[in-house]
Formats: sequence, structure tokens, C-alpha cells
Amino acid sequence: MDDYSESKRARDRQDELEQLVEDRTRELTQALEQKTALLHEVDHRVKNNLQLISSLLLLQNRRVSDPNLKASLKGMLGRVNAIATVHRRLFQSEDVQRFDVSAFIRDMVADLVGSSARDDIEIQLDLERVDIPAAKAAPFALVVNELLTNALRHGFPEGRGGRIFIGVNRLNGDFRIEITDTGVGLDRDNTASGFGLTIVQLLCQQLKAKVETTDAEPGTRVVVLLPVDTTH
Amino acid sequence: MLLAIELEHLVEEVGCHSLGCAMSSDEAVDLAERLHPDLALVDVHLSDGPTGVEVARTISRDCGGVALFMTANVKRLPDDFAGACGVIGKPYSEHGVKTALSFLTFCLQEGHVPGPVPIGLTLAPAYAELWGLIDAIPQSA
Repeated sequence: MDDYSESKRARDRQDELEQLVEDRTRELTQALEQKTALLHEVDHRVKNNLQLISSLLLLQNRRVSDPNLKASLKGMLGRVNAIATVHRRLFQSEDVQRFDVSAFIRDMVADLVGSSARDDIEIQLDLERVDIPAAKAAPFALVVNELLTNALRHGFPEGRGGRIFIGVNRLNGDFRIEITDTGVGLDRDNTASGFGLTIVQLLCQQLKAKVETTDAEPGTRVVVLLPVDTTH
Repeated sequence: MLLAIELEHLVEEVGCHSLGCAMSSDEAVDLAERLHPDLALVDVHLSDGPTGVEVARTISRDCGGVALFMTANVKRLPDDFAGACGVIGKPYSEHGVKTALSFLTFCLQEGHVPGPVPIGLTLAPAYAELWGLIDAIPQSA
């Protein structure tokens, strides 16, 4: 009799515990689902707002006729697009903490070169798979956008074709990003590119990255060295 | 509405004609029934909620048109794309949309793809097959 009630008590206790575990698991699953839904909602809003900003810039660009103003608006549109490309990429990947630099550059090149409609500029890519923390993705994207835009717009005035090389690889504890064009070379008096280069300097400071611009004879070579150890 | 107006500009710039814009699912279906568009650009979130998926289904089933999603939530579309031919993920770029529209115009007219699918556009499996794209669904090893 005693044995029986003992084992019954043990069974009841076990059932009770299993029920507790089940309830708790259900609560946690629900909480996770709620958090996931919220994350999707925020992601959705970020993307839609970026879309709205870029559409506003495009609409205003259609209204103005002053070429300087148009160039400024186009410049800002390019920067917004660079950030938009980051967000599209980030939430496409499985790991939202890491950002695939080479995949991003491929997207950017397709967009920038495609929209420039310059068949006379050949693009050469040598991209190693390299990840940076998601938090650094936007400033990094803006740097790449400025350098690529500079190479395209100022390196090759209408009628002058050539080649742009973009390379990403690891070098002695740094990520090395190289953008070399065979364009007109180091003459950056242009005010628009002046602002672009200011952005590059400031953001590289923020990223603790080094930028070196050298004469590629002919053309310009810009190398960005982003330390791997501070990318965590 | 701003997005729709800007899209109309892009549509015209690639040589297509915009038939109209709708804000809600009722307006969208009504417009499609009256005007029979070749292609309908449909956001998942319309003014009356996440009704775009059903709008796309209705347009492709009852209005003789082809729907194309434009959404920030690509991962949440049903596997069959609700009968739509594909999706452009937001945020899209001016160049991305124009390239995708030119590509789809060719597909709709010629019945096959002119080349690789442009970046930013994803075709629905059914349309990838219809338009003769072999590598549309990456084979998982």
C-alpha cells in the first residue's frame, strides 16, 4: 500500500513538473514570437522610411533645373541609396550581426555603374568574403559609395573611358579595400567631390580606418585599411 | 502616395504607361477590373492593412493581369507568391526598379527572359519556369 502511494505521489509530482515545463515553454515561445514580430515591424518601418526619403529626393530632383542643385540632390540620393542597400542586405542574411562586405560591394557596383550608363568603363572585381559588424555597415557603405562615385564621376569625364578595379582582401590584421581607376588622376578641386572626401575622412576616423590616396599613373588608387581587431 | 507618384515617373521613363494608382485593396481591384493592366505593382501593406497579397491573387486570377510585389517584407510572402510574377524588395533604387521593369516588359512580350535576372528582382518559381529560367531555384546540396 505504502509503495503504491509513494510511486503515485512520484508520478503526480512528475506530471506536475512536466506541466510546468510545458506552460513555461509556451510562454517563452509566445514571447519570442512577439519579439520577432516587433523586429519585423521595425525592419519594415526602417525600409519604408528609407524608401520615402529616396523618393522625396527623386521627386525634388525632377522639379529643379539648376545643375548644381541637381548634382547635390543626386549626391544625397546616392548616399541614401547606399544606406538603403545596407538595410536590404542586412535583413536578407541569416546573421543580422554581421555584414558581408563583398556582397554589398557587388550590389553597389551594379547599381552605381548601371545607373551611370557608361559602357566605356570596365569594372574589375576581386572580392574576398569578408564580414564586418552590422553596426559599422552604414558608415562603411557611405565611404565605399563616395569613393566609387568619385571614381565614376570625376575620374572619367564624358568621352573618356577606362577601367575601375575594386578589391577586398585581408592584409596583416586589416581589411584592405582598394578602388583604383585609370581616369584623369588626382585633381580634386571640384566642390562636390570636396564634400564627398570630407565624408570619407570623417567616417574613416569613426571607423578607425586609414585612407591612402596615391597616383596610379594613370588614374587614382585609394586604399582603405580597416583594422580587423576593432571590428568586434 | 509619394512612393506611387515617384513610381509612375519611373514607369513612364522605361517606356510603359501608368494606368493609375490605388491606395486601398478595393480601389486596386476595382482599377484592375476596369483597366486590365499588363502589370500591377502591388505593395503588401495598403491603406486598409496587409491586403496586398489578396489583391495580387485577385489581379492575376480574375483580371488577366500580372502582379509584381514591391514590399519591405520579402520573406513574408507566400511560397506561391499569390500568383504574382515576382518581388522587388524595398528599399529599391531608381536604377533597380527601371532595370526590373525593362526586364519584365521583355518577359511579358517575348515569353522568355532576356538574360540573367537583375539584382533587386526575385522571380516567383512558377514564372521563372514559364520564362525559361533554369537556375531560378538554387538547388540546396
